[in-house]
Amino acid sequence: MSHHLFLLSPSDTPLYELTHYSSKPAQMTTSPLASNLPSWSTSAFAGTLSALSGAQGATQTHTQGGPVRIGGGKDRHVIQMIANASLDVIEEVMRKENTMYLKSVDKFNEWTISAFITPGNMKFVLLHETRNDEGIKSFFNDIWELYVKTMMNPFHTAHTPIRSAVFDTRVRASAKKYL
Amino acid sequence: MSYPQPHPRFSVLSSSSLSSAEHLSPAGSSARFSLPSAPSINTSVNTPKPGFRPNIYDRNLNKSRTSEVSAAAFAFLFSEVVQYTQKRVTGIADLERRLNTLGYRVGTRVFELMIWRNESSSKMPKREIRFLPALMLIHTQVWKAAFGKPADAIEKSVENADEYMIIDNDPPLTRNVSVPRDMSQLSCSSFSAGIVEAVLDGLGFPARVTAHNTPTDTLPNRTTILIKLERLVLEREEAMKQ
Repeated sequence: MSHHLFLLSPSDTPLYELTHYSSKPAQMTTSPLASNLPSWSTSAFAGTLSALSGAQGATQTHTQGGPVRIGGGKDRHVIQMIANASLDVIEEVMRKENTMYLKSVDKFNEWTISAFITPGNMKFVLLHETRNDEGIKSFFNDIWELYVKTMMNPFHTAHTPIRSAVFDTRVRASAKKYL
Repeated sequence: MSYPQPHPRFSVLSSSSLSSAEHLSPAGSSARFSLPSAPSINTSVNTPKPGFRPNIYDRNLNKSRTSEVSAAAFAFLFSEVVQYTQKRVTGIADLERRLNTLGYRVGTRVFELMIWRNESSSKMPKREIRFLPALMLIHTQVWKAAFGKPADAIEKSVENADEYMIIDNDPPLTRNVSVPRDMSQLSCSSFSAGIVEAVLDGLGFPARVTAHNTPTDTLPNRTTILIKLERLVLEREEAMKQ
């Protein structure tokens, strides 16, 4: 089971992203869309298509031969697309909800999207597969503290990507603890 | 500029310089030299090794929560900020705009930190989504966090529905600023206006914020921070009423 975290600036520039694989097993859910999809394994967009439709990690044989892992939304660009697509919903919900932690704002196939909006309009977006409200809340709180510490640095602006190794280590430790 | 007394900075330097300190207080100098042989417990435990700098992520954000900055030191810093800015601008409008930008950078940090200190321990951290409570938040909490006291009044413009004002009768920021007569439109509170603009931007109320001198007979330093909201904010507020 994996989690994907994105930190987005007020102007939606990605500042930091993290993929976290936890040892907990994922439950397999097949979405109805997946079964209706023809097997376009020859198409260049096969990976993206089957991922978006929610086809689960079946290994299919590519035209060239070698097995390619497709689907399950595990492709990097698909994950990014799902996260960015959820921004519309997040921006709508954050006008109505006065909490910073917006749990399960959006769903896409097996992915549930939770978000956290800081007072300065930074958005933390998390893609997860199982419900874990308390854990995610504690995780977001940790990230918030780390982010406040980052932005106290006068050399950091709202649009600077966060490249600090310590930040990364701390986020990973927190992900291990709560997710 | 001429000083009636010796320059205060010189007097500080001379009293702390080695020769006079040793001369005036032999007890102090003996303590100085006895330090390495008999270090006190506090310093030996907490003094970091030379060259070692603590990581910003190891620092506690609440450590400086109750500490205050010396008003004199801040006035000196702010005067340098204004002088530095003034050397690089073409006119008063430009100067105000630059002070506003500097304030904006401070505002984003002050606000994020202030809310973190207030809310991070609560079960459900909240953000303000309506404009008037947000304005109240700026008037009391942000002002307290930045200047140590709440602002004095909030007013709504009678003529324009999109204009609000925060009024401070004696802003601590510009207490030591005396603006020359030929630059009388200049308000150094543009810096505070920048802070307000950053807070409003963060909460999703984009606005143009400016500072104006509005002295009265009893309050010569009275300053008005004028907030001109963008139309989308008003439209949203209108939609949320229903």
